Amino acid sequence: MSATWVLARRNLAGNRVRLLVSVGGVALALSLTIALEAIFAGVANQLTTYVDRAGADVWVAQAGVRNLHMVASWLPDSVTDQVRSVDGVADASPILYSTDTIAAGDERAVAYVIGLPPDAAMGRPWNVVDGSDQLGPGEVIVDRGFASQAGVSIGDEVTVLGGEARVVGLSDGTASLVNSVAFVSFEDFAAMRGGAPVVSFVLVKVASGASPEEVAAEIERVVPGVTAQSRAAFAVQERRLVMDMSADVIAIMNAVGFAVGLAVVALTVYVATLARRREYGALKALGARNRFLYGVVLSQAVLSVALGFLVGLAFTELISLAVAQTDLNLDLAISAASLAKVGLFAAVIAGLAAILPIRQIAGLDPAVVFRKGAAL
Amino acid sequence: MTTLTLDVRDITKQFGDGDNAVTAVRGVSLAVAPGEVVLIMGPSGSGKTTLLSMMGALLRPSSGSIHLDGTEISALSEGRLPAIRLRQFGFIFQDFNLLSALSVRENVALVAELAGLKARVARDKASTLLTDLGLGERLDFLPEKLSGGEKQRVAIARALINDPSLILADEPTANLDSKIGHEIMRLLRRVAKEQGRSVVIVSHDQRIRDIADRVLWLEDGAFKDMVTMATDPVCGMAVERERAVSQDRDGETYFFCSNGCRAEFLAADGQGPRGWIRAASVLISRSSTPDRGGRGGD
Repeated sequence: MSATWVLARRNLAGNRVRLLVSVGGVALALSLTIALEAIFAGVANQLTTYVDRAGADVWVAQAGVRNLHMVASWLPDSVTDQVRSVDGVADASPILYSTDTIAAGDERAVAYVIGLPPDAAMGRPWNVVDGSDQLGPGEVIVDRGFASQAGVSIGDEVTVLGGEARVVGLSDGTASLVNSVAFVSFEDFAAMRGGAPVVSFVLVKVASGASPEEVAAEIERVVPGVTAQSRAAFAVQERRLVMDMSADVIAIMNAVGFAVGLAVVALTVYVATLARRREYGALKALGARNRFLYGVVLSQAVLSVALGFLVGLAFTELISLAVAQTDLNLDLAISAASLAKVGLFAAVIAGLAAILPIRQIAGLDPAVVFRKGAAL
Repeated sequence: MTTLTLDVRDITKQFGDGDNAVTAVRGVSLAVAPGEVVLIMGPSGSGKTTLLSMMGALLRPSSGSIHLDGTEISALSEGRLPAIRLRQFGFIFQDFNLLSALSVRENVALVAELAGLKARVARDKASTLLTDLGLGERLDFLPEKLSGGEKQRVAIARALINDPSLILADEPTANLDSKIGHEIMRLLRRVAKEQGRSVVIVSHDQRIRDIADRVLWLEDGAFKDMVTMATDPVCGMAVERERAVSQDRDGETYFFCSNGCRAEFLAADGQGPRGWIRAASVLISRSSTPDRGGRGGD
């Protein structure tokens, strides 16, 4: 290990209280940023769960509709057959979709309500943990988290799409922080909405070996008035929507985290440098070059921030584990991109925090070591 | 012809300009041969620290030149001076100035690493040097766990680690008791004589004169004729024999800072000169302790 790192590490370890304050401050500031990003990423992941798990390779929607959340998509029901006839399509299944509320007693929750044809090959609940996954007239499958909160069990009635439906199944993994997914029969959904011959989306399974992107492009070329996207592209649009909606909040919290982290590290590194000013003067007198001393100060800042980053990350992981043990439909997703961004934040914090102490050292007169008792 | 280690030629240092100008050192010349121990003494404010800073390439003279091993260091650019200080000078400070976060060995090895030695080699060299200086049992101690004498020996090891030709010591005994101070000075003399390194010491401490090959008196920024110092047996003050009030008694000459002290000396009937001599020796002993109240440099 180089002399720079050894001295920086020992200087930091030499004052444990200061080290704790520095690392703790950075950890809290960065964990604030990491946790918030993880929450939004987790929510975005949850919101795309249905898209990811519905089993479709391509999503066909009304022209211009590129995501699921808070949209209305209406297509003539003849579109399903048109899509089936496109080259590369192995199967196509329509669904009806609406964002609505489901209610049971005083409990109300926002839900994506999906209308499924009988024996639909795609779009069905993928993990029914209680009851049946088959829907008949006047029946509904709800998320078990909602059922638990509302005190609903198999056979109970809930209000959905303005009518009453009997719960026949409880699904798992179909809830997020902001909503859940409920499934009713296609006929019930159509009847509750006036019986118009429309579908919301056509879910497409592509033929073996076909590219979803190429099939989507072909559908758009052949079928008029639709937007077709591969599942991956559809999910990206969905995530982007969530992240766009949360961008301002994330930006504000990032700024707060950055400012707090910078203030804490800058202050502690500055105080640490001030406390050792005479020692830095002695090193200068002995022949240490400024760049060595700058390196020591910068290394101290980098070490503080790196430790803070790791502690902050561990802290966020702990929060994530703790949240998973609760009834909250919250999943903290710590992504590599988020870590890279916060890591870059941390590096900038370390660099900026070292500027003031470096200026202090640059102006330090090495002859000061001969001035006994002089105020340094 | 023997090459001088240090050759200071007619240097002057002036701070400020015009009416505010202060000349701290004026026209000082000094030649130090290899293995020579030179002690520079003088009152506070005489320019000792300024002179030491210039000799150590920490401060540029306003005029004159300083040569180290034949190189005019006072003409070198700022960028070249750190390397000179690192490899050709060894510094010993009154306050030791050890790095508090590093162990004894690391304090010494760091300076070797700065000079380009690999970490392991520097560490081994520091261990050997420290063991030679009697600190083999203290290698992994932090400076705060050491006595004053041990700290100064670490500082000496740090000064020697890069094999410098010149060691500059600033009040090296000021924070040490008499016995340890003498041990440190004997150690420095041994280093000078056995290793051929030149040593320049700046000090107020009269008791270390015996280890020096030459003693110089700096006053008002210039070297003055060396005066013989004596201790006033009444108040203990160090006085110049040539300028002091004197009194012969029982075949011995006593020197006083003032007529008042001499009168007190003469009025002390019954104690006799022997009593005063005892008193004087006590006073000398007291003044030989570190001058903790008067640390101010020049």
